[in-house]
Amino acid sequence: MKKTLLILVAVILAAVFLLPLIWMLSTSFKNDFEALAGQMNLIPKKPTFENYLNGLKGNLMNVPITRWISNSLFVGAAGTAIVLLFSSMAAFALARLQDLPLKKLMFPMFIGSMMIPGILTFLPMYMEFNTLGWINTYAALILPYSSGAFGVFLLFQFFSAFPKEIEEAARIDGANKWQIYSRILLPASVSIMVTLAIFTFMGIYNDFVWPLYSTTSPEMRTITAGIAMMAQGSYTQAYGKLMSMTVIATLPVFIIFIVGQRSFVKAITQAGVK
Amino acid sequence: MVKSTLQSRLTSTLFVLPYLLCFCAFLLIPILYGVYISFHNFELLSEKHAFVGFDNYMKIFTPGSYLFEQFTTGLWNTMQFVLYSVPLLVVLGLALALLLNQLPKRIRGLFRTFYFMPYAISGSVMAVIWLMMFDTNAGFLNGLLAKMHIDPVAWLTDLPWVWVSLVLTTLWWTIGFNMIIFTNALNEVPEDYYEAASIDGANAWRRFVSITLPSIRPVMLFIIITSTIASFNVYAQPFLLTRGGPGNSTRVLLMNVLDEAFKGKQVGSASAMAILMAVIIIIISVVQYRFAYGRKE
Repeated sequence: MKKTLLILVAVILAAVFLLPLIWMLSTSFKNDFEALAGQMNLIPKKPTFENYLNGLKGNLMNVPITRWISNSLFVGAAGTAIVLLFSSMAAFALARLQDLPLKKLMFPMFIGSMMIPGILTFLPMYMEFNTLGWINTYAALILPYSSGAFGVFLLFQFFSAFPKEIEEAARIDGANKWQIYSRILLPASVSIMVTLAIFTFMGIYNDFVWPLYSTTSPEMRTITAGIAMMAQGSYTQAYGKLMSMTVIATLPVFIIFIVGQRSFVKAITQAGVK
Repeated sequence: MVKSTLQSRLTSTLFVLPYLLCFCAFLLIPILYGVYISFHNFELLSEKHAFVGFDNYMKIFTPGSYLFEQFTTGLWNTMQFVLYSVPLLVVLGLALALLLNQLPKRIRGLFRTFYFMPYAISGSVMAVIWLMMFDTNAGFLNGLLAKMHIDPVAWLTDLPWVWVSLVLTTLWWTIGFNMIIFTNALNEVPEDYYEAASIDGANAWRRFVSITLPSIRPVMLFIIITSTIASFNVYAQPFLLTRGGPGNSTRVLLMNVLDEAFKGKQVGSASAMAILMAVIIIIISVVQYRFAYGRKE
């Protein structure tokens, strides 16, 4: 009896959480007239693919959606690759290389940086890129994410726990540091690297504030920044069209989220564990 | 022991170097540069930047000045948001985790996914969805109210509804994060504590207060700290949903800082505001951290 009641509560809550997403999907198949009619039909009366077709053809509200999506995917992938490579190398050195100079200074500095609020670097970073003439470039969209210390922190913990014997056996066999890193530690850390990759990709892909300010030309926008721009503009009530864009924007992260959910949860848990 | 030659130290350094360079270029130098900018009359479009010392800061602290208004109203609005959202994010996050743990194991994962799903979407997508949900005429919520013969609510333009809307969207969007952390903490409470308590005749509420709460105390404090920091950094919701309105009642500090820089083109005074904002956030988190972990040691 009690169990049934709990399940009922859980189902109602699930409906509350999912409804806005279902509403988004449903509206994306409505024409603007139907979307604005204010009726609560979840299944469109006259379902239309117009919004999607026009979007993919590039003539939805005169914005280059396919370009925005490509930008987002590229920026997310490149940013993730940089974070994975650089943080794993740094974490390897900090965790395994005894003769790394200034280790005692660097480690707390990296970890402590996770406490720093983003607004502290936002404006000066913008000025930095502005001075370099890098506003509206992929460099501006990708590089700022490379300084995040979460990956270093996560991988440091993993690398530190790695058994010393295997490393020493490899050393006796004549492996150098690079070989120990690339042939032993990296292959052993595939699962945690995947976790970090999912976490990082979703973070970069979903960010919209930095891309909104660091790009001004329409074709350099990421999809999330593009949507933010349209949400402020005169398109705010073209719900059918807007929703087809949000569905397209959300699809890649949802796929990654559902496939990698376990890893994602693990990363959050590990971030929460001191 | 491995010999520590100069060459060996050099190769060790090479491993950290790429990250270290990024760290310097996109974190350390920007912080220092931000402090430098805040001491200058730094107009976005002009070439010359005159040194003005603490002028930007002084203006923020001078009652009646434009910057003072921007900073204090922004800060007050941000703090209101923190006060409204954080208790709900913590309490409801825990409630959701408790509910999840009571569900049969088979369906637990499914429901966790449902509650956690909104966390995966971007702030801008979240905002566009809720613009539509809250729409006065065509929105889902007012449609629901109409069915119950309740007059439409101006969710995004009237007080106090703007705050209700901002808090609702925030809960929907981010509570899954807190739920996950709480769920893990709940799972780590030893089962025999509960069994022993049951034998002693403790009811569910008693067990919750005497066993669950003390056991998850560190995690609870972690959630309070992270939720407070996140709420202090609130931006997407008021920026895209209420646009700071009605009037300036939901203009949060971060909006004022970015507007001062990009609309007002005054990066110097905006940087001073940003630094003060960061200092406030750091002080709050240090105080909360001390409060949470200080007494134990």
